[in-house]
Amino acid sequence: MNPRKDLITIDALSDEDIRTILESTSAMKDIFTKSVKKVPALKGKSVLTLFYEPSTRTRSSFEVAANRLSADVTTFTVSTSSVVKGESVHDTIDTLMSMKMDYIIVRHKNSGIPAVIARHCKAAVINAGDGAHAHPSQAFLDAFTIKEKYGEVAGKRVVIIGDILHSRVARSTSTILRRLGAEVAYMGPGPLVPQEQYTGIPRFTNWEQVFTWKPDVIYLLRVQNERMDTPFFPRSDYHQAFGVTEERLRRIDDLNLSIMHPGPVNRGVEICDAAMDYRNCLINNQVENGIAARMSILYHLTPQTQNND
Amino acid sequence: MTNTYITNATWALTGQKLDLRMGQSGDEPTTIYLDDIPLQGVNGVTDAGEMKIPEGARVIDATGKLLMPALFDLHAKIEIAGCSKRESIYRTGQAALQGGVWGMLVMPTPGFCFDNASTLDSFADAVTQRSAATMIPAGCITEGMQGTQQTPYNTLAARGVSILSDAEHVTDNILMLHRAMKYAAELGLTFAIRGDVPALTHNTYMHPGSTSYKLGLHGTPACAEEIGIETLIRLAQDAGAKLHIQTVSTAEGVAIIRRAKQKGMPGLTAEVALHHLLYTHENVGDYDTTFKTLPPLREQSDCEALLAGVKDGTIDCIVTDHTPCIPFAKKQDFVSAPQGMVALDTYLPAIYTHLIKPGKLTWAEVIKACCVSPAEIATPYDQEEGTPVVAPLLLFDPEVEFCVTESTMNCGTLNTPLLGTTLQGGVTMPLC
Amino acid sequence: MPTIKQAEIEQALDAWAAHLLNTTAPQAVGKLAIVGLISHGDVLARRLVQKLKDNGCEAEYGAIDITLYRDDLNLRGIRPALKSSYLPFSPDDMTLVLVDDVCNTGRTARAAMEVIFEYGRPAKVELHCLADRGGRQLPIHPDYAAFKLESPEAERIQLRLMEIDGTEDLTY
Repeated sequence: MNPRKDLITIDALSDEDIRTILESTSAMKDIFTKSVKKVPALKGKSVLTLFYEPSTRTRSSFEVAANRLSADVTTFTVSTSSVVKGESVHDTIDTLMSMKMDYIIVRHKNSGIPAVIARHCKAAVINAGDGAHAHPSQAFLDAFTIKEKYGEVAGKRVVIIGDILHSRVARSTSTILRRLGAEVAYMGPGPLVPQEQYTGIPRFTNWEQVFTWKPDVIYLLRVQNERMDTPFFPRSDYHQAFGVTEERLRRIDDLNLSIMHPGPVNRGVEICDAAMDYRNCLINNQVENGIAARMSILYHLTPQTQNND
Repeated sequence: MTNTYITNATWALTGQKLDLRMGQSGDEPTTIYLDDIPLQGVNGVTDAGEMKIPEGARVIDATGKLLMPALFDLHAKIEIAGCSKRESIYRTGQAALQGGVWGMLVMPTPGFCFDNASTLDSFADAVTQRSAATMIPAGCITEGMQGTQQTPYNTLAARGVSILSDAEHVTDNILMLHRAMKYAAELGLTFAIRGDVPALTHNTYMHPGSTSYKLGLHGTPACAEEIGIETLIRLAQDAGAKLHIQTVSTAEGVAIIRRAKQKGMPGLTAEVALHHLLYTHENVGDYDTTFKTLPPLREQSDCEALLAGVKDGTIDCIVTDHTPCIPFAKKQDFVSAPQGMVALDTYLPAIYTHLIKPGKLTWAEVIKACCVSPAEIATPYDQEEGTPVVAPLLLFDPEVEFCVTESTMNCGTLNTPLLGTTLQGGVTMPLC
Repeated sequence: MPTIKQAEIEQALDAWAAHLLNTTAPQAVGKLAIVGLISHGDVLARRLVQKLKDNGCEAEYGAIDITLYRDDLNLRGIRPALKSSYLPFSPDDMTLVLVDDVCNTGRTARAAMEVIFEYGRPAKVELHCLADRGGRQLPIHPDYAAFKLESPEAERIQLRLMEIDGTEDLTY
């Protein structure tokens, strides 16, 4: 893979980049089976996690990944209340540059912030989620999980269900899956599913359309209440209308479909309890693969910090 | 004082070849009308080659150049963050002359908050001392542009204010606005407001479409502008106030104004910002904050409808919506970056290069939308002389080509997508 | 450039297997593993395991990718895709024969040993290679080399194998 400093979106990657990162993810996962679950690849390198939005899962996943590559991990705690304006991000970048960080993993509620940081510093910047824009590491772990389950991503049909409009996961995961030759459809409450003319992705608004489309994977999104100031839909309807109910789970089971979810799940909203124990529920695989995918991403990026800095 | 003679000029409006004598021949300043357009400081016009030019007179050979009235801009912000007010006034004045603009209506900003007499007085003084261009302040509709308490309209009107605007701020307090309109209507003031429903556009950053989807940015629905325009028209009609709709950006917005004008609403006028005629939401590309505007850049079909609106007179004026943003501010992420472009420095060459030359607008349409109509709406008036102020003339050389660079920008900031591009047209102004 | 042809390589592998049968294998009955270094070393290791098996000697097969352990990883701009290491047994108390294609500076062998020790504690580790070109920078020497080549520092040694490259030769 040609030297690449940052990972901001899937769109910015070449097909070869995507293939290479996925291929290495598999090798990274093998490391977990060793008695020493650690490799010296990033020994002496410093990794900073800079999360302006709370997230325990993604942050720990990145931290475990960096630790397993022997990097030194620093957590930069940003009190969300004090950082309201974009100015502070610029000031923070200056601070980070003085700290000589090699890798910066950033999450922010504003779409486009990681790109701004990447432009202004020599460290490799990894977008761990920005607004409703992109979440590329999630895309890689999702693609890898599907590849692991089916041997191949190409030709698979994946329907992403939920609040597409506000979901960076939907954008990044649909992009990588389509790049790898899968077909993607969106389903969710009408106002939360963008028009096909904008996305190029078929748009459904009920389960019957989903089953008719014959998907292989049901990908459920988390209902993000915190991002909606004025409600977009009557929340109490969601489970019955769009969730995986026990009745739908039986159909999913009959058709041998897989279930995925980026976590954390709202049981009883997107998904019923029983579905969590369903034989083709890949949610735990996604978590494990998340670490391997993030190790692969860290390994494949090239910070520009070692040269005359 | 001797006269200056301009020979072999082409009158932009009709293509007629002219010679002019400029300057005072006696004590009385003269204004001659040509095609109903007043020519400031001119005391003689003949067909080209027929004017008697005395020996040793100052002669400008205008062969190949167009003669036209200078432009008036109905919508400019002049405040530059980090610059003193005097500096902001000076730079904007220089930029305006370069772009062929002789005068402008200055929108209130926090630093130029025209909601009281003393701010207006000190502004008028500073403009007299510093500005090469005429600057007319738009008085605030509400104190501090907060949308709650009306400003002292009588006092503002006595200081020469004829247009009221809270700039980009749109109130959702319709009752306050209705009462303000009724009161100000008695004074003959015009309300310049943008169509918007703040509740629908809060936390939105660009036109909803394929680009906003890709970038994960919340879309500003066109219906917010359209509902806003409709609301303003009904309010103004009921209150009997004159209304100027600012920066129309949608096709339906144009249609609403067209219908209202057809039904008969003499006090209704409207403007479009130049950038809404030239760019679409796709120009935002990968978070290019230069293209972040208010209202946002929309679809190609909107550009075409706006252009048609200019052509049929539904949209009375083209404006710059000149908004200086310092580099730091525009370097932020798209959500945090401020809206706006600067346009004064490049105004007439940009209009020529991107609208006239490709045949989208004629010179006659441009002169109407950029010179005649804006001056009619703003009614520039000389307080001391007690007479209307008339646009000066300028010469425009369509053969001049120049690259827009940091050194050609006088307005103090560089937030224009034209930076680094080549424009056609050289402006000579003032002529004497 | 001098070339060693496929037949010669095959012959050398036979001699190599014979060496393993005579010297290493008798002391490690049931505890012998041939571990190849990806890429090319793993192919050689697989062939050696087969040749041992043909001669009635069972040996475990393993393959490791040492990329993540390279001491020059951060000096190289290009990061190659990683291959999966395959070590389906614990190296504890085993005799491990590391198989590399070309032995040069010794840095690859060092990295390989680091990998192995993270899987367990072998009783003994030997280093075997197809070609030894000299130029050691570390106190590491192969226990067995099928070819000893005199190759100037600048010259690149290239091994092509049927399984990977569709043709087979060694040029230096």
